[in-house]
Amino acid sequence: MSAPLRRLRETPRHLLVCERSHVRHERSRHAARVRGHAYNCRVSFLIPECGVLPEPLKSVTTDMGEYYLVKNLPLHELVAQEFISAFVKTGSCYALTYNTRIDQDNTAALLPTGKLILSVDKDTYEELGLQGRPSRYSGKKVMRYSADGSTLMSYFSKHQIQAHQPKITFSTLRNLQCPVLCSNELQGKPEESCSAQELFEWLGAVFSNVELDNKSFSFVSTYCCPEPSTMMDQAYLCTITGFILPEKIIQLLDQLCAYFDEPKLAQWVTLTVHGFADSPVSWRENEHGFQKGGENLYNFVVFRSLDYWLQMAVGANDDCPP
Amino acid sequence: MRSTRELGLAKPFATRAAQPGHHYLRVSVEFPDGGVRLNAAHFKQLIVSALKELHGEVGAALPVDVLTYDEKTLSAILRVSSSGFVKLWSALTLLGSYQNRKCAFRVVQTSPFLLALSGNSRELVLD
Repeated sequence: MSAPLRRLRETPRHLLVCERSHVRHERSRHAARVRGHAYNCRVSFLIPECGVLPEPLKSVTTDMGEYYLVKNLPLHELVAQEFISAFVKTGSCYALTYNTRIDQDNTAALLPTGKLILSVDKDTYEELGLQGRPSRYSGKKVMRYSADGSTLMSYFSKHQIQAHQPKITFSTLRNLQCPVLCSNELQGKPEESCSAQELFEWLGAVFSNVELDNKSFSFVSTYCCPEPSTMMDQAYLCTITGFILPEKIIQLLDQLCAYFDEPKLAQWVTLTVHGFADSPVSWRENEHGFQKGGENLYNFVVFRSLDYWLQMAVGANDDCPP
Repeated sequence: MRSTRELGLAKPFATRAAQPGHHYLRVSVEFPDGGVRLNAAHFKQLIVSALKELHGEVGAALPVDVLTYDEKTLSAILRVSSSGFVKLWSALTLLGSYQNRKCAFRVVQTSPFLLALSGNSRELVLD
């Protein structure tokens, strides 16, 4: 095949890493993975065969915590001694520039470890005169924060600060075709269970309202629910959108695991977390970029036995997830 | 507590899929002169004709799935094999008219993961 034709068939590298382990296993890294992913804009969970959300889950969901938008904040305020003592040293302050694009604009992010990450263009870098390194993949900004509420509101009272609540939506899906999964078979087994990749695609179809009882010979679309599958009468879907802290996600994950403390019809539940497309980091301090997409997301599938699958997906301008 | 051996986990089992098999595009089509109604089948036909125009008969045979379609906003989510992604995107970009009506495709978001299309932080508006 000639070089131009070959290039027509090429796509940028993307990665989907799938792990499996057990929630109570001493070497399970599920909590570390969640904590390592600092900037989360959307969290969803799906519980098959569930019509009403149990009370403990409901209370965790409605208590996701506020986040704050501070407009026209000079970046040097984040390195002021007073700010560092009041918020950074407590170890639970996260900040990210709002409405900046990682592939076009200067972006800043404050990690709970106290590290300030700046992703700047060439001119800004030369003006700043700081030591840095070029991005592996090629300000006075509006910042988004999450930290202790009342003290932040009073600390930034001279700037325009607004508190926001995460937006929460609940829905019950009826007659949902769900893939059959086996916790030991990450790759699936023909005629017996579906693979983790098929599950990942199916979950995307559910969230995007794709028709699952489609026939593969249809002119419009050949996509169907992966087989083998079962029909669920109902499934509970909850979505939380905002600036969500890893600590809250861990509480949610713990409650989803506790869902199986009593016998349930569901064989598994899922928890999906989307990161910010324009965050300068994905997991820990791994550089994150935006080539044709800024995806950095992960998904848990927790089984009745508390075995789990963890799928982490990143785009072309990203380091491999841990 | 069950031992590592019983669980069959010497270490957490990991598999890496280097290249997902499909790519997904969230697209919409605009007709500046307005007054166009397309159902899902017409929309699919529009895509096939775009592929045929740029890439010929072989291009037109590229399997593309219209996973969702909204008739009111003329927007859809498409699925294509990864090897056909560049062909599809280029064909949609260069489509200028359909049935003698001017039109333009907008590719709003793309990803090799369908799940990524349901959470776009760039659409998060706080004001």
